[in-house]
Amino acid sequence: MSFPSSSFKIVALTALLAPALSARAVPKDDAAKGSVFFERHVRPILVTHCYECHSEAEETQKGGLLLDRERGWLEGGDTGKAVVPGNLDASLLVAAIRRVDEDSAMPPKEPLAESDVKLLEQWILRGAPGPADDMGETEFSKLGDQDYLFKKAKEHWAFQPVNPVEPPKVDDPRWNRSAIDCFVFANLKENGVEPTRRLPDTMLVRRLAFDLTGLPPQSDDYERPIDDLVGQFMDSPQFGEHFARMWLDVARYADTAATYRPDTKTPHYYPYAFTYRDYVIDAFNADKPYDQFIREQLAADLMGFPNDAPEMAALGFMGVSPIRNKSADFVDDVIDATTRGFLGMTAACSRCHDHKFEPIPTADYYSLYGVFSSVERPEPWDIEDFPKIKGYEPAAAMAEDYRKARAAIDQEIEKAGNSKKKGNNRSVAESIEQTKLAELLLTNDGAPARAMAVIEGKKPVDPIVFLRGEPGQKGDRVPRRFLKILDPDQPPFNEQDSGRLDLANKIADPENPLTARVFVNRVWGALIGSYLVDTPSDFGLQGSAPTHPELLDWLAADFVANGWSLKHLVRTIVDSETYRQSSRPRPDLAESDPDNRLLARANAKRLQIEELRDSLLAVSGNLDPRMRGRSGELWGPDHSNRRTIYGYINRFNLDPTLRAFDFPTPVQSQEKRTESVVAPQALFTMNSPFVIEQSKALIDRLNFTEGVTREARINAVFQAVFHRDAAAPEHERIGKFIDLEKGRKVNPWPLLAQSLFMSNEFLYVD
Amino acid sequence: MNFPPNSPSPLSRRDLLLKTGFGFGAMAASDLLAAANVSSETPLAVRQPHFPARAKRVIHLFMNGGPSQIDTFDPKPQLGKLDGQELPDSIKKTLQPTQRNRVGNIWASPFKFQKHGQSGLEISELFPKIARHADDLCVIRSMESEIANHSPGLLMMNCGHPVLPRPSIGSWALYGLGTESEDLPGYVVLIPSGMPTAQSRNWTSAFLPGVFQGTHIETNAKGGELIPHLTRDDIRAGTQRSQLALTQYFNRRHLKQHEGDERLDSRIHSMELAFRMQSAATDAFDINNEPESIRESYGDSAVGRNLLIARRLAERGVRYIQCYHGAGQPWDNHSALIPRIKDLCQESDQPIAALLEDLKLRGMLEDTLVIWGGEMGRTSTIQKGPKKIEQVGRDHHVDGFTIWMAGGGVKGGTVYGQTDDFGLGISENPVHVHDFHATVLHLLGFDHKKLTYRYSGRDFRLTDIAGQVVEDILA
Repeated sequence: MSFPSSSFKIVALTALLAPALSARAVPKDDAAKGSVFFERHVRPILVTHCYECHSEAEETQKGGLLLDRERGWLEGGDTGKAVVPGNLDASLLVAAIRRVDEDSAMPPKEPLAESDVKLLEQWILRGAPGPADDMGETEFSKLGDQDYLFKKAKEHWAFQPVNPVEPPKVDDPRWNRSAIDCFVFANLKENGVEPTRRLPDTMLVRRLAFDLTGLPPQSDDYERPIDDLVGQFMDSPQFGEHFARMWLDVARYADTAATYRPDTKTPHYYPYAFTYRDYVIDAFNADKPYDQFIREQLAADLMGFPNDAPEMAALGFMGVSPIRNKSADFVDDVIDATTRGFLGMTAACSRCHDHKFEPIPTADYYSLYGVFSSVERPEPWDIEDFPKIKGYEPAAAMAEDYRKARAAIDQEIEKAGNSKKKGNNRSVAESIEQTKLAELLLTNDGAPARAMAVIEGKKPVDPIVFLRGEPGQKGDRVPRRFLKILDPDQPPFNEQDSGRLDLANKIADPENPLTARVFVNRVWGALIGSYLVDTPSDFGLQGSAPTHPELLDWLAADFVANGWSLKHLVRTIVDSETYRQSSRPRPDLAESDPDNRLLARANAKRLQIEELRDSLLAVSGNLDPRMRGRSGELWGPDHSNRRTIYGYINRFNLDPTLRAFDFPTPVQSQEKRTESVVAPQALFTMNSPFVIEQSKALIDRLNFTEGVTREARINAVFQAVFHRDAAAPEHERIGKFIDLEKGRKVNPWPLLAQSLFMSNEFLYVD
Repeated sequence: MNFPPNSPSPLSRRDLLLKTGFGFGAMAASDLLAAANVSSETPLAVRQPHFPARAKRVIHLFMNGGPSQIDTFDPKPQLGKLDGQELPDSIKKTLQPTQRNRVGNIWASPFKFQKHGQSGLEISELFPKIARHADDLCVIRSMESEIANHSPGLLMMNCGHPVLPRPSIGSWALYGLGTESEDLPGYVVLIPSGMPTAQSRNWTSAFLPGVFQGTHIETNAKGGELIPHLTRDDIRAGTQRSQLALTQYFNRRHLKQHEGDERLDSRIHSMELAFRMQSAATDAFDINNEPESIRESYGDSAVGRNLLIARRLAERGVRYIQCYHGAGQPWDNHSALIPRIKDLCQESDQPIAALLEDLKLRGMLEDTLVIWGGEMGRTSTIQKGPKKIEQVGRDHHVDGFTIWMAGGGVKGGTVYGQTDDFGLGISENPVHVHDFHATVLHLLGFDHKKLTYRYSGRDFRLTDIAGQVVEDILA
């Protein structure tokens, strides 16, 4: 019989440090005596020194360890068993209080008194008896218990296969034509609630125009049948420009990283981010199947496209991460955007420990970590490292302009050589590359257009779990593979590359219970103004339950059955009576359904900042309809007149007007926008030179000549802004305003136009 | 905090749609809102904390860059004997790797310390005027942070996490308490000119709703530019008033056709508020409205103007005011510490002393918590490199740096915590940034464990899963 060396150590350790105790095997006390020992001698030490971090009473279990119950110390925490009864050497608790190594010494700040250490050792040698009334398992201790969470997940609605239910039978001739309506109507009936009447067509035109194109209708849109109009809006390129914004929130799109260069105080520019934005617009306009859209964003470079294919721009989903370098934080951000964005799973929470609330063990996080840390991110000015994108060939003059500016900068870089400025780690040449050169690439239309891509690293990374998220603390090796909750067998991804395409295929699998549900819910929210699942990026155990689960499943199944077509989905929703109800508030439901969860009416929507700015430009006649290309300034003296989606977004110093209007900070994937009503929004419409400029431009465009009556002028302004004539009392009230201001020698017309721009009728859509 | 009480999602979408605005909440009780028959539970409405607050507002003087505690508030006479000697290896290895690689010899402070006030609090000669308020200061010499660098340090100090986007302490305060200011933002960040390191991430609301984000204002900018679009100068106020009246006429007609939509009504009010704000905010930021004696006491300098504006904002009910010393990280004295720290202290000594005096005279110090400190401190050693004494400086240090607080429910004239003999470790009563945050929230009336927000499937709080209130410094 051989003695493992560790057994010997126990004897030695015990003999040396606790001479009062015998090293002989200790018979376990009977339970009563044991628990008295625990309460009298052990509990006080634990309460004083350990419970602050390891007890339910304090609501913390640092390192996953609870010391207020037997199973807590027996099962131990992230690093292993805290207590092995009768075995001091195997008990991590002993190593910790003996302060064997600095990192795991406990309590962290002050060592236990020697007498306390001995008592705890004595307790372990006695078999570590627990309290008489042990807490056992509680909801709290189950937090992070992955077996328990997986069991719970088995019954969770979002992890069940999509179940395409037959819509219920409805007799009402208005409500039985569309499946959506059958679900909604039957549910209303069940709750004893009547739906609201249909919105009159004249008002429906405005709702459809904004919901489908993000722009106000043109006057002749009012002449067309609604059906034709829907087709016209959905076929227009403005459709993609509008819907792309929904996705860009999820993809945390911006034109810079979240950090800046401290020496020059300039952002880290992403000069090719715009090609990703254009890709999203094009994809929605072309009705690219959503499963394909997913694959291209995660793995276009692995799908066999030529290197200059427009699809390569899709890789910007990873390339526009707020984190500029290839660090663990970058990988974390991409895991977060991917899992919340496509799957409604909050996997990034599992970076440091098994997820507390969701069936996502740390090992799963590191499987994905392996996938995304297998990519490289070249520096933007190393132009040739980025795939060239067809379709952006500049005019000769533009190209020449770029060549000249480029040559001058290159010369400057060459001249700088390897020189460094005092106190600066970066060379002068690098500094020029990161500022002047990057700015040229960002702004000059003659500069090459590239995909803001990531590229495959030389060798795929075999990930190792980092305990507590610290790269220094290495745990088990795990293969690159998909999440266990969605792929129970977890076959490893291929060994040749990062596995991004394998991952994309798992996400885009029609059998994946989350992907289609998550996307149809996003589109539903954009059109209806409220979500079926109120936590659009969290479908996990902690997420909200769907208000209409069967409808959600029907939509998801229908979406997949129709080739993952966004346009089919949009058409299905806007054709429904549910969508076309009036948005008039329902006093009868103010108490019982204040948030309109039953959908007994439509939701009036406030214009988002993009729609507001675009509307101002459209009405003033200044809107520049050019699509694609580099981002421009939104406001300021040199502002662009193109749609807001083409505006420059600086992450590290987000534009205050965007912020005031609830534009979500793109430092992480954003599930939905809040809607606040704050004074700075009002100040913008009252005082911003941009709004004042559009007011004047509208009056210039209307070009009132001498003979035009006051009444006709007022109606012309009303038609342009509201698509209606002013009512008689309005004429009267405006007349007073005009007289007053004329008396003050002020031109009242631009002020009248602006007054309409400031109004609620302009800002809200019925 | 559970708000509304015990709701898992503290702010429902509907709450957000209700009246919000710069301080609009403060009007909740007024007839305006009462007439509108709208719940007072709006995001910025004044709310009661968990227990009675000691501090109603915070003025946070942020010495960005990491001021040297060894030369200001943490005297280390023991170092005199060791001056110029190499650090023992056993101490060296406790430093973070970056610091370890460039650590030079021990450098006792070249500045003299003296006891001040009845408390006998020791303060260096660099702060003669602040020293007159020694009995008001509660100095914590055992602050502990995580990563010894600026960006992570600033984010740790402001948001409780060195890397990930988390809401800042000011956002949490505003989320918890709402604002008392009728026509100003509830959380204002004053910067003389140019952003501090880590930029707007320092006052981000992260996943909290955007209304809780800090509004940063460059106080060296001209009046109208302080708040975007605050005024227009191409028409007279009378004309703008009559234009607004016309808009509101349209809005009331529109409201009649949409009765029951609370948002429309709240926007009508927010326009009135915006109109009033044009003059109110201009006034709040215009220190020319202060008597000359007051202006003189603060001094005509960037920091002086900043702090005087801070007091004006505090007076008007702004909840959280943060004042950065300057752009980037001015207190980052890796080299030429002697001349630079003299300048920095001289720039801030008089204004800070004047602020404390001014608050006291107005009876505001009692319920205003003033915080002084940076994102970290500095080593007691020189940073390897220069030889000449006027060129040497100190490196970053996070285990045992100093901050102080005054007013708002803290014990004046006290020192809490101690650093070891080398000034490089904590020998007594460590106060981690999480503990500091827990304490500030406590002074504002909150149990830091219960002021939470549900996001991404988790209840987040400022102190993550840590933090302990430093009871010993509470008055």
